[in-house]
Amino acid sequence: MSDKSSRRQFIDRSFRIIGFLGIGGAAGVLTKRASSSAVYQIDPFKCTSCDLCRTSCVLSLSAVKAVNDFEKCGYCMLCPAYMDVNSRPDEKGIPTGKVCPQDALKRRVVGRVDLEDPNNNYYEYAIDETRCDGCGKCVKACLPPAGNGSLRLEIRYTRCVECNECAIRVVCPDDAIVRVPVPGMAPTADSSEREKA
Amino acid sequence: MIRSRRFRPLILLLMVLASSALFAQYQRKPPDFGGSYSFPSPEHPEPRSEWVRLLDVGMLVAGLALGTWLILKRRSRGGVMLLSIGALAYFGFYRKGCICPIGAIQNVTLSLTDPSYIVSLSIVVFFFLPLATALLFGRIFCGGVCPIGAIQDLVLLRPRKVPEKLDRALRWLPYLYLGLAVLFAGWGLGFKIGAWEVQAARRFLICEYDPFIGLFRISGAFHMLAIGAGFILAGMFFGRPYCRWLCPYGALLSILSRFSWKNVQVTPDKELDCGLCADACPYGAIHNYRADRASCLACARCYEYCPREQVLRGAGDEFVQVKLP
Amino acid sequence: MKPQQPEAGEGNLLDRLRKSWFPAAAVVGALASFIAAALRLRPEPGTVLQTTEKPAPPVPPQQAGPNLPAGGFKREYRKSGSLVGGAAAQQFRSSLAGIAVGPGDRVYALGDGEIRTFEAGGSLVAVWKVVPNASCLAAGSDGHVCIGAPGRVEIYDPAGRHTGGFAAGDSAGRPAGITAVKWFRDEILAADADARLIRRYDRHGKQLGLIGTKARAGSFILPNGWLDFDVDAQGVIRATDTGRHQVTAWALDGTPLGSFGKFGMGNPEDFVGCCNPVNVAVTHDGKIVTGEKMVARVKVYEPDGRLLALVGPENFDPKCIHLHLAVDSKGWILVADPVRREVSRFFPVAEAADNAPLRDRETAGGIRQEYARI
Repeated sequence: MSDKSSRRQFIDRSFRIIGFLGIGGAAGVLTKRASSSAVYQIDPFKCTSCDLCRTSCVLSLSAVKAVNDFEKCGYCMLCPAYMDVNSRPDEKGIPTGKVCPQDALKRRVVGRVDLEDPNNNYYEYAIDETRCDGCGKCVKACLPPAGNGSLRLEIRYTRCVECNECAIRVVCPDDAIVRVPVPGMAPTADSSEREKA
Repeated sequence: MIRSRRFRPLILLLMVLASSALFAQYQRKPPDFGGSYSFPSPEHPEPRSEWVRLLDVGMLVAGLALGTWLILKRRSRGGVMLLSIGALAYFGFYRKGCICPIGAIQNVTLSLTDPSYIVSLSIVVFFFLPLATALLFGRIFCGGVCPIGAIQDLVLLRPRKVPEKLDRALRWLPYLYLGLAVLFAGWGLGFKIGAWEVQAARRFLICEYDPFIGLFRISGAFHMLAIGAGFILAGMFFGRPYCRWLCPYGALLSILSRFSWKNVQVTPDKELDCGLCADACPYGAIHNYRADRASCLACARCYEYCPREQVLRGAGDEFVQVKLP
Repeated sequence: MKPQQPEAGEGNLLDRLRKSWFPAAAVVGALASFIAAALRLRPEPGTVLQTTEKPAPPVPPQQAGPNLPAGGFKREYRKSGSLVGGAAAQQFRSSLAGIAVGPGDRVYALGDGEIRTFEAGGSLVAVWKVVPNASCLAAGSDGHVCIGAPGRVEIYDPAGRHTGGFAAGDSAGRPAGITAVKWFRDEILAADADARLIRRYDRHGKQLGLIGTKARAGSFILPNGWLDFDVDAQGVIRATDTGRHQVTAWALDGTPLGSFGKFGMGNPEDFVGCCNPVNVAVTHDGKIVTGEKMVARVKVYEPDGRLLALVGPENFDPKCIHLHLAVDSKGWILVADPVRREVSRFFPVAEAADNAPLRDRETAGGIRQEYARI
């Protein structure tokens, strides 16, 4: 009996040591390589606003929202992303249809206001994130040559649950969703080099 | 406003590159609005900060430490249940099931096959620490910390015994799933048989088919919610079906738990071989009146039913009523 | 089987329920969460905005400016071939930023960081290196060439030697965002898109005046950040006001002289999209040539805004954000397509009688503005 138990103990102990060495070794290799955490973001150069961001996010209202880059925005009255330029115009010649199916692109007059002629005013365009579902129609409409290209789709971290594998990334036809490091902990010089690269 | 200097570079880099692509030489300036309009800076919400991610690691360490004490030292089912409720609340509903060691299998695999894949220290800790704990103390993670195990454990109403042979056959599935998950995470699948070709890109199968993630996020696709509801219903009658017959991390833990230094011992002192613990265990983990180290999920139910335990707790002369066959 | 439980009895079921209340509550909770999640399942995508009437079928933009036959327009232009790019021998490798016509109908093309000079027949005469960030150029009647770059104007003599240059900017020293330059006799006019006006300089860089500040409606609105203009022999400046979809006229002292044009997708006389026309040139017989983006086309107008001719979008790349224009002494229009890096020439082939109607103008009821003080 004691023979059996001591042999059992020996086997247990040796496998335990092997196990610890394995765990320690693997953990060491990975720690050396470990850098910061990573999150997903959309690369605006690759994205073609294909509408899959709206349907593929695991959340019911997608975490992808359109974002207006105010520095590039023209603040136009006749914004091609706000109004559908091909829709029926009203008596003043201004198109009546809207591009956004959820009416999430809102505008307001800013700066000095000309009450007589709306063409004389600047309009600030901002997206209502409680309505935007990431379909990208406004982004497509703002692309040059029609617009300045100031609208783009972006993953908003107030909503993104940071899945291990972004469900949109799996289906994105342009491979536009990239994993970017969150600057932060870089335990070794090796990994901080990698972060800079 | 962009709240952290450190996150600015990426967004600014993208914006600058985007603008320079349009106007190679001349950079357009914003208009002069007149009036009292001041130019807004775009808001780019930051992802969770590193400190909050450290909190996850801290909670994992605390959970494992507390679990070890509750399961091995204090031997209390109530304590383990409270711990698992806490783990379900934090790792399950608050963190929405993500980050978890089961998924970390894929991250670790991918980082070993693809040197450019970014892996964080928390993922490394989340993967290796429960394994080290298993090597030392058994499947503490399963018993007290895993939110998926916790939810199944809590809905257990009327555990039924699964026939031994079926149980043994089903216990091969986790290894199969582990192999598939590692294969798909590291390499994807690509092979040709004659004219029939299969090409599958790398994917994280475990994350895609996580049954309880829809519950934790309280949203999801219909098939995910259906699978989750199915597992909950099954879990009411067959203890912890996912843990026993599917969990790939459980496969790793069960291998390591076999050689653990200290593990669940049903009686506090001497064995009675009465078999009450075997009746009590909903997971069929008691073989030969001893806790089977590989399949014991450290739920601490067996302690309550052991007569030696009751003696120790001062139940006095009140012994268990045994129903003879 | 649970210990400390009566062997058999009525309290069995109740007892079991009591002891298992927690799992039961957990089950109910879990299933409630699933139901809540199922209720949040994404509904079929639909539109929020409901229109009460059926919308008219949209007009595809590329067809908004049809190439009507000569019976519709008073004048028709036909392509004569490419001077640079396309099928021509000369090609620009990476960029084409502007063109100008000098004395003797020489054509100067700016691209790849150099100016290439062509004879009227099309043969390459000279290649001069210039600053790499040059955005526009102009050729004077004496053969001097000036180019505009952000904050600077550089002058070259007819042989290509750099003879002078000056910094262009506002009184606070901010560099001008120069998007167009033109010679007028001995003066240089430079469009400053950042300040949204046109600056008048003499050859040595002394600022003589500003154009664009005196309009009651305000100065130019430039959503695309580009101001283009041309000046005729009498000193009347025609400048693009892209935000208002107008071609505006100014005297050299800055007095506004009028404007024409409006937004419209259907009528070819109107300007499409959000910011058009992006380029403008004047001919020797006083006609005004405009270039548009989104529907890349070139149009010729009378000075009062009546549409004379249209060179359709099939001639240009649809991704163009500019169509740089120049007109030679014969009335041929040169168009630089920066995407294809091609300079094409168009010559007039037909001129209808003076009272021939423009077809679409009548049906769409386009507005024409005569010269009007604004």
